[in-house]
Amino acid sequence: MRPSVNRWPARVDVLQSASGLLLVLFIWGHMFFESSILLGHDAMYLVAKAFEGQPLLSEPHPELVSIAGGTVLMLIALHALLALRKFPATWRQYRELHGHLGRMRHWDSTLWYVQVITGFFLFFLAAAHLSQMMLQPEDIGPYASADRIWSDHYWLLYAPLLLTVHLHAAIGVYRLAMKWGPFSAATTDRWRGRARLLMVSALAFFLCLGTASLVTYMRLGAEHAPYKGERYTPSWERE
Amino acid sequence: MRILHTDVLVIGGGLAGQRAAIGARRRGLEVTIISLVPAKRSHSAAAQGGMQASLGNCRGAQGDNEDLHFADTVRGSDWGADQQVVRMFAHTAPKAIRELAAWGVPWSRVERGEHSITVNGQKQTVSEADAAHGLITSRNFGGTAKWRACYVSDGTGHAMLYTMSNQAIAAGIPVHERMEAVALIHDGERCCGAIVRNLMSGELVAYLARATCIATGGFGRIYRVSTNAIINEGMGAAIALETGRAALGNMEAVQFHPTGIFPAGILVTEGCRGDGGLLLDGAGERFMPGYEPEKAELASRDVVSRRMEEHIAAGHAASSRFGEHLWLDIRLLGEAHINTQLREVQEICQYFLGIDPARELIPVRPAQHYSMGGVRTDPHCHSPTLRGLFAVGEAACWDMHGFNRLGGNSVAETVVAGMIAGEAIADFCASPEGALTVSTTLAEEFHRREANKLAAIAGNSGGESAVELTRLMQETMTANVGIFRHGDKLQQAVNTLRDLLQRSANVGLRSQARGPNPELVAAYRLPRMLKLALCVASGALAREESRGAHYRDDFPRRDDQKWLCRTLARWPGDDAETPQLDYEALDVMGMELPPGWRGYGARDFIEHPDTATRQAQLEQALAAAGELDRHARQQLLMPFLHLLPAGLQARNQRLGDAP
Amino acid sequence: MSEIPTRAVRELTIRVLRCNPAEPEQTPEWQDFRLEEAEAMTLFVALSLLREEQDASLSFDFVCRAGICGSCGMLINGRPGLACRTLTRDLPDTITLAPLPGFELIADLSVNTGKWMRGMSERLETWVHDAGLADHNLAQVEAPMDPALAREIYELERCIECGCCIAACGTAQMRENFVGAVGLNQVARFRLDPRDTREDADYYELVGDEDGVFGCMTLLGCEDLCPKDLPLAAQIAFLRRKMARA
Ligand SMILES: Cc1cc2nc3c(=O)[nH]c(=O)nc-3n(C[C@H](O)[C@H](O)[C@H](O)COP(=O)(O)OP(=O)(O)OC[C@H]3O[C@@H](n4cnc5c(N)ncnc54)[C@H](O)[C@@H]3O)c2cc1C
Ligand code: HEM
Ligand code: HEM
Ligand code: SF4
Ligand code: F3S
Ligand code: FES
Repeated sequence: MRPSVNRWPARVDVLQSASGLLLVLFIWGHMFFESSILLGHDAMYLVAKAFEGQPLLSEPHPELVSIAGGTVLMLIALHALLALRKFPATWRQYRELHGHLGRMRHWDSTLWYVQVITGFFLFFLAAAHLSQMMLQPEDIGPYASADRIWSDHYWLLYAPLLLTVHLHAAIGVYRLAMKWGPFSAATTDRWRGRARLLMVSALAFFLCLGTASLVTYMRLGAEHAPYKGERYTPSWERE
Repeated sequence: MRILHTDVLVIGGGLAGQRAAIGARRRGLEVTIISLVPAKRSHSAAAQGGMQASLGNCRGAQGDNEDLHFADTVRGSDWGADQQVVRMFAHTAPKAIRELAAWGVPWSRVERGEHSITVNGQKQTVSEADAAHGLITSRNFGGTAKWRACYVSDGTGHAMLYTMSNQAIAAGIPVHERMEAVALIHDGERCCGAIVRNLMSGELVAYLARATCIATGGFGRIYRVSTNAIINEGMGAAIALETGRAALGNMEAVQFHPTGIFPAGILVTEGCRGDGGLLLDGAGERFMPGYEPEKAELASRDVVSRRMEEHIAAGHAASSRFGEHLWLDIRLLGEAHINTQLREVQEICQYFLGIDPARELIPVRPAQHYSMGGVRTDPHCHSPTLRGLFAVGEAACWDMHGFNRLGGNSVAETVVAGMIAGEAIADFCASPEGALTVSTTLAEEFHRREANKLAAIAGNSGGESAVELTRLMQETMTANVGIFRHGDKLQQAVNTLRDLLQRSANVGLRSQARGPNPELVAAYRLPRMLKLALCVASGALAREESRGAHYRDDFPRRDDQKWLCRTLARWPGDDAETPQLDYEALDVMGMELPPGWRGYGARDFIEHPDTATRQAQLEQALAAAGELDRHARQQLLMPFLHLLPAGLQARNQRLGDAP
Repeated sequence: MSEIPTRAVRELTIRVLRCNPAEPEQTPEWQDFRLEEAEAMTLFVALSLLREEQDASLSFDFVCRAGICGSCGMLINGRPGLACRTLTRDLPDTITLAPLPGFELIADLSVNTGKWMRGMSERLETWVHDAGLADHNLAQVEAPMDPALAREIYELERCIECGCCIAACGTAQMRENFVGAVGLNQVARFRLDPRDTREDADYYELVGDEDGVFGCMTLLGCEDLCPKDLPLAAQIAFLRRKMARA
């Protein structure tokens, strides 16, 4: 290794992709946990308590959720900061890009543009959601969440967040595969076809899952509206 | 007026020009290349099939050597070539290939083990030796005794040109692109540069140089149907002609390639036939073996093209709405072979004909392909009549092709001649003769003259159209100075061309746009193209025999007695209407291979009186010398090594030779 | 029996973006030409006819007219391609032609790809680096090379520097100094070549930055529009992995 060489461009590129990948893994996992509501109130309750560390520490520690939220926020900040370099920086660049995409009618180039736009929106939407989670970590649970979503109208945040984050994540995974994938000239088409299939299926799956749980939260929220503020008691603690 | 000074001005950025430039640069000279187009877009890139060099690595090439390459080339030329030059060439070609291999050309390599090949329509199996594994392989080409055409899939010229250009870039040689030499600066004795027009801005610049090298490629575009690029208009040869001093050699020797796709004229390589493809007629029958039992599809190009036209004239053509043609069948080679070794052919068929050559027949008809003629030089690529002017590649008549060049010998010539010219130019520049003594007044004079000419053309409001006249020229050439020639038709062609040359003075321009003015370009090139066409047609009319690609119905025999000579065309003056033709005899008494039958094509020819004498002399000398190895034998018959630069004289090692 | 319908001859509208920088008072504008389509007509044939019959000042570049020299790249209905091997029968009645973006405009459809490519070659040093080249013994039998490797190198060598991948790349359109797929492919080509003595650290110095491989945002326009079907995506991904570790 030569001392004069600047290693940062390589590191930054890896970091951008790695942060993106971690975020995708996080959000996909998050969707399963958060959709536990589909399995019933108790399931969701257990998941929420699990993340507060109750099984290990015997007492719930909502601060843990705050810490996790903070970590994710930092990861997002890092990722966004790195990705920012790719945004059109000047009016000229923006104009060139816009003209280019319009003329080319090219699928993958357009997908990237979708990522830029969704990324831009995520910046605000994710920040809003995460600060909520960090500041009120104890308000996670079948009733608390449902109340927030319905009575506090948070579905207005979640619906667009759901769409943007999954578009961004699914496209991101496809592009990660094409960016780093160990395919050869002969296998490019096959690899690309599979990556596309993964992108589309992941997008469809998580949008369905997310919509189903969001609707469930909303229904619960509507039912529970008269009792807003009441917290859920798991079935085994009820007599 | 802008004047640029450089030691060496190379006009043309194809294989030949760049190799000469690299050679001169290595010897410490400042070299500038000018080119009509970016160097890598030169037409050398279009060569598909291969480059001949007697490496003898693969099974089909075993036993090959310089002697066989020499003999094939001389026979191919129909004894019109300069045999010493052919020797220099055959000796240097393996070095050229090996140099390019070291520089990065990904030559296709021998693969050990069994392979299936197609010969005469039959599948055969050959086995390649372990020892040859990984060495440069070669394929069969027309008119050769051995498999000698080294290749890179079917993008040989492309790979060679890119490697060459990259080495030129590495050597820091500037290429002034989109520049056209419009006149050579000279004082009647000594050439010292060129007046150059910038094709983007229209500016005229004078380049003053100690040595000037023309490497401008062929002039196929004087014909209507040609495999050549549309920039192959012969402007380098034309400006040399216009000096009135330099001569153009053998301009009537024009090659027609058997397999131009019909009707566009785009070439599909001879490699198609070399690899086992067949020619079929309208009835789907193979016809070449009937005409040429020994070599069939792989006789030399002039013979195959002529047989094809003969077969069409006899009513056996296939026809389409564009006219009559024949078929090339490479289906039998199989899809795998086509998709790896004949990819460009596959692409050309797909994009220009909309067919898949692995499944369908390719419509073909002979098309103008190569100009054997060009600026006449000595064996050092130097004009004997205008000092300081060198010429290499297709633009030159170095004269290793005579009246017909063999497939694969041309790109080989470009590199070999470039290697020799680079040294010769450097030697010339180092000699007292090489000092630049010319005053800038001469440059100014030429500059003024060209500027005035261009202004006159631009301001001309005459009623003629350059497009129309160009079309008439091209049609005349294709119809009357084509594969079959006849005195009457040739006379008619000369008359028409002379008339067109007169009319070209009245070409009017519609557009006065500044910058790249394509109309102006067409207008000033037209008279130059007509002059070249006149050299071809007049030379063909005068040459009352058939030799190589030059075939006269009315004089079907080769006539060594009268015509074993090289045509030299000069343009006597600005207002001349036809070239002045002189002849330079080929000395039978100096030949290593006295004239005889080529091994294909017509058997009857009129013998030169010296042939028998020379033959006897050679036999006698050999008998007197007793046992000799082939090098000593060759040295005895016709020494040539002294003509080569010292660095190129060493014997070529082959597989099995001691290092 | 039914008759074979004779196809009506189409009249094409060819819309060309005209601009001649040498005439500064002219502003770029679209100009429509009408032309009768002919059998097997390529854009080379069509444009040549337009210049011969309708507007002698129309500028464009063709050299080989056979799809091998890379001179005639232009935007055909918005997408880059080689005009000489594009058949009009594959296009709609109206064909728009514009110069390749990302290159210096010479006039109309003619752009200076040559200058760009030479700059790229100089910058990426696209030649075999080997100190021993000058005194190479040419008489000696050449060094062997694995046949499969030679084929692989040729696969990448097939690039004709047409510039389509630059015009098809959003990154290159936004950032002038980006070497593009053409440059990255050439680096991959020399990296593959055992005759080139450079190491990854050397290549990293050439393309290990935002103007090189890390600038590529995997838009894949290059892969999809390269007229020679070069495996550009695979090469860029490969180079990215190598350079990330170099
Ligand atoms: C389709 C085709 C296939 C071929 N296949 C083979 C083959 O397989 N094997 C083989 O051996 N041969 C083949 N040939 C022949 C061979 O390719 C050419 O003869 C050879 O490449 C010519 O090289 P060159 O360097 O002399 O000229 P070119 O490569 O034609 O270069 C000419 C150069 O001169 C420049 N130029 C021209 N006029 C001027 C001017 N006035 N001012 C400034 N610059 C100028 C041009 O820009 C260009 O750079 C083929 C030819 C064709 C047409
Ligand atoms: C603040 C929010 C975000 C912004 C502004 C943002 C922006 C971007 C941009 C512009 C890109 C394209 C970068 C490129 O082409 O090189 C990108 C890539 C990516 N993003 Fe995001 N993003 C954000 C959040 C997220 C989140 C939450 C995830 C996970 C779900 C994510 C996952 C990815 C992935 C996987 C990639 C592909 C990485 C790569 O190309 O190297 N991003 N992001
Ligand atoms: C540690 C951090 C996070 C925690 C603890 C968390 C927790 C939750 C919880 C509990 C819900 C259910 C609704 C609610 O209670 O309000 C939810 C929903 C959601 N969260 Fe998060 N979240 C985190 C980070 C993120 C991030 C980074 C994103 C994306 C950028 C995200 C996107 C979403 C979306 C889209 C929904 C709605 C899901 C649906 O439609 O069903 N979350 N999250
Ligand atoms: S990579 Fe393809 S598109 Fe790019 S210049 Fe080369 S041939 Fe053209
Ligand atoms: S289009 Fe451009 S961004 Fe990369 S994948 Fe191709 S170079
Ligand atoms: S003119 Fe050569 S590629 Fe189109």
